Amino acid sequence: MIDHDDGTRTPVIDASVHIFFGSNRDLRDVLREPFKSRGFPDYEMDWYGAPGGEYAAGTAGPDGQYPGSDPETVAAHLFENRGVDVAVLHPMSRGIMPDRHLGSALAAAHNEMLVSRWLEHPEYGDRFRGTIRINPDDIPGALREIAKYKDHPRVVQLGIPLQSRELFGKPQFWPLWEAAVDANLPVAAHIEVGAGIASAPTPSGVPNTYEQYAGFMALNFLYHLMNMIAEGVFERMPELKFVWADGAADLLTPFMWRMDCFGRPHLEQTPWAPKMPSDYLPGHVYFIQGALDGPGDAEFAGEWLGFTGKDDMVMYGSSYPHWQLNDLTVPDSYSAQQRDKLCWQNAAELYGIAVPVGV
Amino acid sequence: MTEPKEPRLAQGREHVVATVDEIPPGTHKLVPIGRHGVGVYNVNGTFYAIANYCPHEGGPLCSGRPRGRTVVDDSVPGDAVMVRDLEFIYCPWHQWGFELATGTTAVKPEWSIRTYPVRVIGDEVWVQA
Amino acid sequence: MTVTVTERKPAAERIAVRCVDSDVHPAPRRGELIQYIPEPWRSKYFLSRNVGEQIYYDAPDYAHTFAMRVDAFPPDGEFACSEPDLAFQQLIMQAGADIAILEPAAYPARIGGANHALNVALNEWQLHHWLDSHNNWHERWRGSICVAIEEPHAAAAEIDRLAGHPFLGQILIKAEPRPAWGDPKYDPIWAAATKADMPVSCHLSRSHHEELPMPPVGMPSYNHDFMVTYSLLAANQVMSMIFDGLFDRFPTLRVVFVEHAFTWILPLMWRMDKLYEARKPWLDIKRKPSEYVKDHIKFTTQPLDYPEDKTELTRAFEWMECEKILLFSSDYPHWTFDDPRWLVKHLPEHAREAVMFRNGIETYRLPTTVPALEGQVRVF
Repeated sequence: MIDHDDGTRTPVIDASVHIFFGSNRDLRDVLREPFKSRGFPDYEMDWYGAPGGEYAAGTAGPDGQYPGSDPETVAAHLFENRGVDVAVLHPMSRGIMPDRHLGSALAAAHNEMLVSRWLEHPEYGDRFRGTIRINPDDIPGALREIAKYKDHPRVVQLGIPLQSRELFGKPQFWPLWEAAVDANLPVAAHIEVGAGIASAPTPSGVPNTYEQYAGFMALNFLYHLMNMIAEGVFERMPELKFVWADGAADLLTPFMWRMDCFGRPHLEQTPWAPKMPSDYLPGHVYFIQGALDGPGDAEFAGEWLGFTGKDDMVMYGSSYPHWQLNDLTVPDSYSAQQRDKLCWQNAAELYGIAVPVGV
Repeated sequence: MTEPKEPRLAQGREHVVATVDEIPPGTHKLVPIGRHGVGVYNVNGTFYAIANYCPHEGGPLCSGRPRGRTVVDDSVPGDAVMVRDLEFIYCPWHQWGFELATGTTAVKPEWSIRTYPVRVIGDEVWVQA
Repeated sequence: MTVTVTERKPAAERIAVRCVDSDVHPAPRRGELIQYIPEPWRSKYFLSRNVGEQIYYDAPDYAHTFAMRVDAFPPDGEFACSEPDLAFQQLIMQAGADIAILEPAAYPARIGGANHALNVALNEWQLHHWLDSHNNWHERWRGSICVAIEEPHAAAAEIDRLAGHPFLGQILIKAEPRPAWGDPKYDPIWAAATKADMPVSCHLSRSHHEELPMPPVGMPSYNHDFMVTYSLLAANQVMSMIFDGLFDRFPTLRVVFVEHAFTWILPLMWRMDKLYEARKPWLDIKRKPSEYVKDHIKFTTQPLDYPEDKTELTRAFEWMECEKILLFSSDYPHWTFDDPRWLVKHLPEHAREAVMFRNGIETYRLPTTVPALEGQVRVF
């Protein structure tokens, strides 16, 4: 719960907390052969690892544990210090592996760790919810992983990397989205860390600065989303829900204006998407709202949030333990409804999380 | 924008704009009624008249290429077929498509073009514009 | 309206410039360009093999329209906007543009030296076929010094060669080469541009392989999602120019992004400013990103994208201070053409003069009056 300036209290769902194995040794303990003896990258990226450190100060564990790896430490930080009631955990994996079997094994190890250490934690498990990592490069393996975890009461979504060799509207991915719909689980795409075969972060190749990387990388969701719309994915799968877990919801508005204006002439090329593109957004598209998102405390912040129906899409996410740790601040110009949606309500509805009594 | 060279016909009245033979099926004639002209189309033997003015940015609608519309068909290569050939007009600027018979289209019915009543009497085509 | 122009002589009477069109695409007639391509590239690259149609991500009805306004093709069978007199009729007389910035859009050559040669040819072609006293008798066309940015030193030399021509208004580069524009390897071009006091306009092109925008997420399927997401290429260029400190190195540089849309710059400015605040200890740049945008970068209005509720666009115009950053453009003769009389109605009233002509006059160093043309449509 947090207190707002006007004296009201609202619950807080932190929709984006990143969790990690404590170390490579820790990860290899969970992996089984032959993957246990394989080579794979660490979490830290080379270029574009953040100068000054990837993680916020004070997020390492008391015994030097890797940030985001120790449930007790994370629980204390989130639930005691930061006023969070429920946190949605999203394991980061180890890069997009050319060997999809290895990629799936790494994802599965993270899922085991997520469930056993966090979701079934004796003290804090009831305040954690989880993202099951699946590998879009290995559809059969991903379908097995979904089947294994879909009925776990604290699993609330599936997680995939943002990077891909083909956009998520294309038909090779449809079996995955259909399985997500069957399982009643949203799909969250997040920038995959580590090294691997993902292409350079921007359409012009490698940026010279970290800031350009951090500014641009999240915007890649637009390529996926516009493709999913033009490919008629939401026409075909009306129950599918996607979460863009790196934020940048603000960019949705100008690009949807463009998508709509440009849509009419292109209907003859994409008859499988017969509606106006923006008609495909409600109930299908969600965003984490992070530290880099929004116009700040501008007097029009609430008005802007209403454009394109973004107020029904955004969910507060701290990105704990990253350096751009987002402290929940609600612009003064938000209405009470917008505030509630951001702080907990959109996430509660999307993930089926019951809020604490007394709200 | 093409400009018809004949003197303009008065608006708000009914005019003979052509004989039936002058506008075979699949063709049209642009007649000088109103500021922008009126396009009289023969679609499979039925005549329609539309304003030569696209509601989007004012393009010369009747300079566009009439054709059908694309629908999904999973039984053919490419999964799409064109149906109802020549029943739609597409603006030569931004390719906004409109159904000649109704002046509108499915995706957003409130975007529509001006259409006019057409009658055929004997071999004369009458338009009220 | 009918216009009779019996002499190709500018009128003595002058009229105020009230519509500067920042994006018009002249095309050479068949065989018109090759004579200007220097050897050895003319024989070695351009004449050495037949090159057919290259299109993919095709615009609607491409086989019939070639992505152009269908009514912009001259009767002689040549391509749209290959005939200066027809373009003059349709764009200047009937649409009401007072001065038009010409941006030849030729398919880039695949190797640097050949592409430079092609750009030199485009410049010579403009000088002889659009900007000469016969074709520019009305003084309404301004051309571009086309350069291959991937050849910075040759490009700088070309700018030096042609700067100062009274009818060349800007330098023209394409958006696709890598890396992005903030990289120091391009500095010779910005140095030449600022020495000549000319803006550099970046227009999108069509290309292959690594010179298509290649994001780390895959390639769009259709012209629809392709062209809509193309603006991200420009967004990335803006971020590179700012975070790489380009405008600190060249404080007088003016840049125009042409045909990349513009409403995205509003939330992008917020995003960059937040990054700047959060990352100041690691950044060398001296000012807030949004300040660099408003002082150095302009965007053309075409294509104008707007929501169902157009008041949202009006609000966005206010919040981005549109009068500081927009330049009217039509994109004649492309199919995505925006008529100036239609466009001006969508601008907030207080911004109309700035966007329709004041910003253009200042950006391209244009005169404030031009010889009058009897019967010309006046936009507003």
